[in-house]
Amino acid sequence: MDVDRENGGETSANPNQNGEQEDTQLFKLKFCTVCASNQNRSMEGHLRLSEAHYPVISFGTGSLVRLPGPTISQPNVYKFNETSYDSIYRELEAKDSRLYRANGLLNMVDRNRNVKWGPERWQDWQIGMPRLKHEKDQGSEGMEGGIADIVITCEERCWDAVVDDLMNRGSPLNRPVHVINIDIRDNHEEASVGGKAMVDLADSLNKVAAEERAKVGASGFDAGGAASRSNFDERVPEVLGEWQERWPTLPATWTLAWF
Amino acid sequence: MAAPVKTLSVSEQIQQLNAARKIVLENAAYYDRIVKGILPIIGPSSPVELRRWGSEFLAESLSTPALSLRDKENLTVSILETLRSLVESPNEDPLVLKASVMAAASAYPVVVRWIIHNSYNVESWEHMTAIKARILRIWDGAVTPVKLCCIKFAQRVVLAQTASNGMEQQKHTGLDISLNMIPPNHPVLDPRLLEAEATGLLDRMLGVLQDNSSDALLVDATLNCLSILIRTRPGTSARIVNSLFNFNPFKLANSPMTPKNKVLVKSMEKTTRMLFTHLVKRDPTNPQAGRLQQHVEKLARSRAEIFDDVNRKRAFAEQAHANHVDAKRQKTEAGPAQPPIQSLAPGPQSLAAAFTLTNNLGLQGFDATQVPAALAARISVKTLATIDQRILDQAVNGIRNRFAALYAAAAPAQPVVISPETAPLGVDEDDDDYEPNFYAAEDTEQILNKLDSAPPEEVPEKPADATSSLALGPFRLPPPPLLDSEAASKIAPVAASRVFGPLNSLEEAPLRKNKTGINRLAVTSYDRDSWLTLITRLATRTTAGLEDPSSEIKAEESASALDRPRMSFSNVIRELLYNYILEDWRRRIEVAVAWLCEEWYNDQLTKRSRSDAPLHYEKCALRLVDGFLSYITSQDKVLTRFLAEIPELSRALLGRLKSLCADPTTVHLALTSLLYLVMMKPPVREIALDTVAAIWVEYEDARPLAGKYLVKWRPGFIESQTQAAAGGDGPSSAMITT
Repeated sequence: MDVDRENGGETSANPNQNGEQEDTQLFKLKFCTVCASNQNRSMEGHLRLSEAHYPVISFGTGSLVRLPGPTISQPNVYKFNETSYDSIYRELEAKDSRLYRANGLLNMVDRNRNVKWGPERWQDWQIGMPRLKHEKDQGSEGMEGGIADIVITCEERCWDAVVDDLMNRGSPLNRPVHVINIDIRDNHEEASVGGKAMVDLADSLNKVAAEERAKVGASGFDAGGAASRSNFDERVPEVLGEWQERWPTLPATWTLAWF
Repeated sequence: MAAPVKTLSVSEQIQQLNAARKIVLENAAYYDRIVKGILPIIGPSSPVELRRWGSEFLAESLSTPALSLRDKENLTVSILETLRSLVESPNEDPLVLKASVMAAASAYPVVVRWIIHNSYNVESWEHMTAIKARILRIWDGAVTPVKLCCIKFAQRVVLAQTASNGMEQQKHTGLDISLNMIPPNHPVLDPRLLEAEATGLLDRMLGVLQDNSSDALLVDATLNCLSILIRTRPGTSARIVNSLFNFNPFKLANSPMTPKNKVLVKSMEKTTRMLFTHLVKRDPTNPQAGRLQQHVEKLARSRAEIFDDVNRKRAFAEQAHANHVDAKRQKTEAGPAQPPIQSLAPGPQSLAAAFTLTNNLGLQGFDATQVPAALAARISVKTLATIDQRILDQAVNGIRNRFAALYAAAAPAQPVVISPETAPLGVDEDDDDYEPNFYAAEDTEQILNKLDSAPPEEVPEKPADATSSLALGPFRLPPPPLLDSEAASKIAPVAASRVFGPLNSLEEAPLRKNKTGINRLAVTSYDRDSWLTLITRLATRTTAGLEDPSSEIKAEESASALDRPRMSFSNVIRELLYNYILEDWRRRIEVAVAWLCEEWYNDQLTKRSRSDAPLHYEKCALRLVDGFLSYITSQDKVLTRFLAEIPELSRALLGRLKSLCADPTTVHLALTSLLYLVMMKPPVREIALDTVAAIWVEYEDARPLAGKYLVKWRPGFIESQTQAAAGGDGPSSAMITT
């Protein structure tokens, strides 16, 4: 938990830590982070990616938002889309402020309430529906169209839920989307490491995508080998493979699915 | 989507376009006007930035869920001409082409629907047919991103031109537009021709699977859009599923496993498996459901073989060693999987064989004496400096074991005389090709001399008569210290937790064995089921009848396991078993049922022998139900099964179900579980009905469903309640809820 608090302090002290990127990169891939309860791992990723100036939204795939309670069999349970982080924060603080401060829960929810309004459920997300009422959310700029280029899940089970849900929806939008899982254990420390790794992945992917866009025309003088190598979709597995070398403790899975 | 900006005027235009896009996102009613206004400036002659922005905007507009199908019809028909010119423009920018094909995929079903009802508009159909022809022509030669969208376009054509079973869930997305809607005598659309075209296109799509392509992007893109065809277009289902069965996602695994290849193989395997799992779950009516399930298991096995197989990893590590490619990564991969040190074959062995670790025949034949001593020394020093300590330890131990085995084998044969096999003690490792016959020519004295001058080594302390003790004399373990009850109770939890150790490594029992009925033996094989049976019996039977009723009650009072240092062995097992089940209770519900059956049976036996003996069944059942009720969701039908299968239900236990009704999503589950009990378990019918009645009284939200069941199974109850309520306060309801 100390790690998390330190990071929180650090980022608020240097809000422009990653600010240099904004000037050099005009093109931005749009991201979506997903974990089980849209509280710890996906929100850490949401915050980190938005601090790196990427458009980003986040979701949970569970049936309900579950947070640890006083014992293993008494979790704190909330509904998705209807409960705000702020109300969760206030409820936990009233219930047992000492316990929830000691286990880092309050600290986490406090961070979350400064990122967006409340936990959202992946399965209830209307993909492609304009998201204009989320201006206050961090990372909302660029997400107005309500779609993402890359979905990053934080657990194999969530990746399965996302891919299964996309198959179930029948891909009405005909839009390809890369769904990438990064296995992050559900605790504050690992989430913090995972958040860093996500930004690293986002930077690597965005660089490749920007290179593709900088190239104009299929029949340019450098067509052929170079042109076919530089297209974004094809380089995703390569980028992910290289990323995996840098982050060997976070096993990754990838597929190309459809919105 | 922001496009890169090159010149100022274009960037200004794009700013304006972005503002226009903002307007339609805010209010979808403006789509029609704004899209039509934009069409002239995004045509093939515009700068590429504008074409990129425009084609992307068209793709977004045609697919937005903010517009109804009817609104989309107008919009789609009006952009067809521009879309056609973009698609047909030679040497078009790939990003423009990609977005245009995406737009065409969304346009296709809408245009088909439009033409069904407006057959006069032949022009629109001509545009669409031209777009289709162009896309299908560029499909094979296009760059990958465009190719992906061509696959999706073909999928939408197949979807629109095959007969539907009406199972589409979302009707407003255009996924439901199908051959069913086209009348047989339509003036423009000929259903038979369209269906034939769809069949051809489907085959072309599946080609990527039939060729066992290693292009993961194309494979994944294809797999991820097949589900809706299989589920809602029965005509395509069998063909698709058959090509899925024949698809081998592991083909690429035979080539070198670069980081990228690993990602690709894993991706194709996982996506294939996901599609199968998805179909098993979401398409239970599929006639091939059973085969699908089997195939999922087969894939999982092959995956385990490929990614975890020790042999494969060894080959991998050796190869990496030879190439010095990326040594760091390879090491972590090969770390846990070192080549096992094989014991020597029986019979006489050369010294070289005893020290040989490699299985490579070529290397085994290598004569080390050919290497100049100086070079050999350099190699040895370098190797020793860099070798992994664990590998070295393992090798040394392996060779020790070999010698121990050799001594053990040789000792009985030559108990007193020094055997030639022991002679090599003084021989340096580098002198290879030791021939036992050669040394056998030496006499005992010579060998003794040699031993004396030998440097102190593995057996330095052993005097000359060591040879006689080579037979490894009998060894007796020192007697264990006496165990008092204090120590025993301390050790019991450790012993208990070790009982659970094998559960992780044991395999699932093979598919349902033939049932042998009541006479079967509880445990006949060493698999997980059998082990669990053993554990449940350890928990229930070991100390049954030995427990002291008074101490039992005391132990029960304290809440957590930590407060109970003196907990009996079986209670420790119970505690661990409880934790084991709760860790993954949905899948381990069978274990829970088996455990409760054992508890119940044991309680019955105990009751017969002693009237005051502590009983466990009720306690354990309540604890389990309390444990998983807080995690239950509306889909957890296992609850019904659990309640139906456990041997005894009490009022208190069913009362726990009431808490489920506080959450509207689980009301249905709680009540259907109770209804099941009412219908199928006559002995508990009354208790179950009382619980339903109590729910009806306590929870407003649950009344409609609870009322329905009560009307059928306890006629008159609701009337009496409402009368009582009308008559003033509700003493009767208070009575029931107790």
